[in-house]
Amino acid sequence: MTATRPRMGGWDAVVIGGGHNGLVAAAYMARGGLRTLVLERRERLGGAADTAELARNVRVPALAHTVGRLRPSIQRDLRLSSHGLSLVAPEVRVFAPNPEGGAVVLWAEAQQTSAGIWARAADAGAGGARSSAARDADAYLAFDQRVRHLGRFLDQLGRAVPPDTAAPGIDDALAALRLGRSFRGLGKDGTRTLLRVLPMAVADLVGEAFEDDALRAAIAWRGVRYGAVGPWSAGTATTLLTDGAGNDGGAAGETVFARGGPGRLAEALAGAARAVGVEIRTAAEVTAITSRDGAATGVVLADGEEIPAVAVVSGLDPKRTLLELLDPVALGPSLGWRAGNIRTPGVTAKVNLAVRRLPKFAAAGDDERLLRGRILVAPGIDAMERAFDASKYGRWSERPVLEATIPSLVDPSLVEGARAGTHVISVIAQYAPYALRGRDWEDDREAFGDAVVEVLESVAPGIGKLVSHRQVLLPPDLERLYGLTGGHPLHAEAALDQWFLWRPLLGHARYRIALERLYLCGSGAHPGGGVTGGPGQNAAREVLADLRRR
Amino acid sequence: MPQRYDAIVIGGGHNGLVSAAYLARAGLKTLVLEQRHVLGGAAVTEELFPGYRFSVFSYVVSLLRPEIIRELDLPRHGLDILPLDGTFTPLRPGEGRPAPKDGNGNPIGSGDYLWRVNDHGRTVRELRRWSKLDAEAYSEYGQLMVDMARFIKPILSIVPPDPASLDPRPLLPLGGLLRSFARLTERQQAVFVQLMTMSAFDFLSQWFETDPLKATMSASGIIGTFQGIKSPGTAYVLLHHYMGEIDGAFRAWGIPKGGTGGISEAIGRAAAANGAEIRTEARVARIQVGGGRASGVVLESGEEIEAGAVLSSVDVRRTFIDLVEPGTLDPEFETEVRRFKFRGSSGKVNLALDALPSFTCLPGEGEHLRGAISFSPSTEEMEQAYDDAKYGRWSARPYVDVIIPTLVDPSMAPPGKHIMSCFVQYAPYQLDPSLGSWDDNRELFGDAVVNRIAEFAPDLPSKILYRNVQTPLDIERTTGLTEGNIFQGELSLEQLFFSRPVPGWARFKTPIRDLWLCGSATHPGGGIMGANGRIAALELLRSKRGRGRAA
Repeated sequence: MTATRPRMGGWDAVVIGGGHNGLVAAAYMARGGLRTLVLERRERLGGAADTAELARNVRVPALAHTVGRLRPSIQRDLRLSSHGLSLVAPEVRVFAPNPEGGAVVLWAEAQQTSAGIWARAADAGAGGARSSAARDADAYLAFDQRVRHLGRFLDQLGRAVPPDTAAPGIDDALAALRLGRSFRGLGKDGTRTLLRVLPMAVADLVGEAFEDDALRAAIAWRGVRYGAVGPWSAGTATTLLTDGAGNDGGAAGETVFARGGPGRLAEALAGAARAVGVEIRTAAEVTAITSRDGAATGVVLADGEEIPAVAVVSGLDPKRTLLELLDPVALGPSLGWRAGNIRTPGVTAKVNLAVRRLPKFAAAGDDERLLRGRILVAPGIDAMERAFDASKYGRWSERPVLEATIPSLVDPSLVEGARAGTHVISVIAQYAPYALRGRDWEDDREAFGDAVVEVLESVAPGIGKLVSHRQVLLPPDLERLYGLTGGHPLHAEAALDQWFLWRPLLGHARYRIALERLYLCGSGAHPGGGVTGGPGQNAAREVLADLRRR
Repeated sequence: MPQRYDAIVIGGGHNGLVSAAYLARAGLKTLVLEQRHVLGGAAVTEELFPGYRFSVFSYVVSLLRPEIIRELDLPRHGLDILPLDGTFTPLRPGEGRPAPKDGNGNPIGSGDYLWRVNDHGRTVRELRRWSKLDAEAYSEYGQLMVDMARFIKPILSIVPPDPASLDPRPLLPLGGLLRSFARLTERQQAVFVQLMTMSAFDFLSQWFETDPLKATMSASGIIGTFQGIKSPGTAYVLLHHYMGEIDGAFRAWGIPKGGTGGISEAIGRAAAANGAEIRTEARVARIQVGGGRASGVVLESGEEIEAGAVLSSVDVRRTFIDLVEPGTLDPEFETEVRRFKFRGSSGKVNLALDALPSFTCLPGEGEHLRGAISFSPSTEEMEQAYDDAKYGRWSARPYVDVIIPTLVDPSMAPPGKHIMSCFVQYAPYQLDPSLGSWDDNRELFGDAVVNRIAEFAPDLPSKILYRNVQTPLDIERTTGLTEGNIFQGELSLEQLFFSRPVPGWARFKTPIRDLWLCGSATHPGGGIMGANGRIAALELLRSKRGRGRAA
């Protein structure tokens, strides 16, 4: 470990956590002229945007496997491509094979998806199934348009700093006015639709649009991904629409890989940050945030080193930031109670596989293209809901819902040097609750891994025999490895009770939290989780505004 | 020449009658048309078995708006609400705290119970037996909910604005609401947001740890909805339990003397006293629409009745799909109406008893039988009951909310005998096809309910003289409520306030001029509240005055 020599005058901002949001915030703050230090507990940067070595010369996305929602403005502003970021976007977004046969395929081009649904109609022969598939083909185009239309407003909402409602200033009034105008810009029909659909269950949203259960499920999945919710939970429509906001998401959602794995994104961000003067230290664990008279004054490291700073910016989740790093007296009992009630029910597991050769998916035939996007095994709305049911009672799903990718197909560099034919499969598996009732996860870890492989086996017979390495990361592992409270990949459940003006807490959604000059810049802040860089970018803007005012 | 009225109200349920009373009071020549032989809609009292009178569908009242009671002078017309004291949650042998066990670890003893009464001190003492933390939190929670109820109450009597409209005037009432929101403390504001968005279970878990307490309290969040206690959006309904309590004039929960039909009859008498005409067994077959406006109705008998305005208190599907000539509606509006979700999820079992049942955990007769008896021993069982319904099955072990009205109003049964009203959740209207129809399931469902209660009161089956089971299908057949939804449409967030019943049409008016909605399908939703009928009538009167001025 290298000791940090504060520059003359000390640090303006110290960022806790070198995840993608922490790095984004640091880069923007340094660009704005702040002397900025990033402290990362692990040896590697990136947090949950991490590439891990599963076996010798076999690299796998450790947690997040796609990075397509990263804000284009961040890519431009920080010139990430010149720092080594290279993105690959396959033309297929989702391939959702059904264990009973057949598959739903969502392409980057909505027209192509619609044509595919038509083709399925032709396969269905004459009769009711055929005409309903024909209706779905048209409905898909309309639905895609609608998601994009509403998504434009939600994207603006995501870029805005939630206005101050307690003591609004002119900026807040202007921000509210701008949001109001873009809300009106949706048109009469759009505004009414938005207000009606936001609190809906995603199952109802897709149920109103489509008749085919498999198609409904393929689209609805993004409403429940990473959440302790099922498709019938109210508010999951918001999650789906937000996921489609901003980048070219639409009804299919994005599927974009970083060449070299998601860790490469962290490297590019770190490169960009260093280029503007940010100092980054790894293996530097922050154990406390110091404060005086209600204002943050710096941080303390595990080895006792104290680092004073004008502003402390935490990329950790809000619960951990407030309850683990702050002095409870400084936090106060009321905010302490509220912080303790921030919901972080992790239910997502990650299973990473190395296979000896590319498995054959029955519904894909020889069309390898189909396997380049996200492979979704969520055969129906009820099947997803049943998988969720288990988690409510502290059990893992016997037939979990899976979102798998085979990143080595689009990016062979991940398996360079490995035995020829080797591929890596990265699987997000739900539902695996953080705490099992009456059981220890250590006794069930492999059983859950088996359940995941078994589900894969149902659409890709023989896959089990091809597996050479397997890694099962459970919510407690995610907590241990990445510091995610409750193992929740989004830092705090993405639900209507932890949204916009009240993410993570009402009165504390403007990145400033608990103390003067203490800020949140991670997924627990508006606009929430996913590899977007949004919270980091927004938070940096606020820190700069405050520090310039001083 | 057909008769002509200023206003015709379709449906003689409590909301229709409230509307009629207000219109007649303002001097309009008003006619109420009820398809059945009794008034009340879902708030009716009927003698199902000789000598035994039942509130067949609805059973308790707490939300009836005090201003309606006042303005229509309902006590003078016979309204008498008898207070219902407390909620008793029985547990099974071996359950409770501490659960006594014999040497082999098997549960012994008669089981525990959780009993909350209207006497706050006594309830807190009872809770302390379970958890000191919960006992402390209970007072704090109660105060917070009263604050919240006080804040939210004005919403019940405003006409929802259309957020898409450019006209700022309808937004004015919201201004007052925003100002009073700004006056709340940050913590109160945060709790309000949680109430609007959280699940009842998550919300309550912030304060309480005692599982039967959480199960029983969260039950009020799911009544009449196709949601579980862990479904986001159910916390809001918890507030309703605190609405009545703060209004001095009223006890939290009560049962009307003579059953819920007693309310309808009192409102009916008030309407008649103001000059409204009420006809029963007069089923409306069609609403006459010409030139984009409603001009009257045609009865099933063929009789035509003209009117200046038609108010429909029946649900939106009945109103727009069944009663309006096909092709009349704008197709987009019709799509929205067809999209409105009903999903009836409740059933009712009415029992005539030879004698009172005895609970294992607290044997014999006593005060505990005089309030609500809640069969909600654990949050897990509550949630599992919902899981059954999600997949089209009635709950094998349902949540049951029981009251024994004869203990407070003996007139409902022959001397010494009793009636028992069992509200049951869940009974999904749409059954899984493999189960057959509700006609095939009615008695099996009834058995499940009786068995559920018998888990706690084993002698109940031997006390039953008669049994009447109301499935959602029966509720639909008798009352006309689509899919048996007791609130005329699900009370889910996307179907409330400015989206109820159709986004852009939440102001009681409809796209057909002079056709108004005044039932539970409108803001602020269902329950024996009467607010819908009152606001609709006042809105109509206001628009008439406006038009009068313009002319």
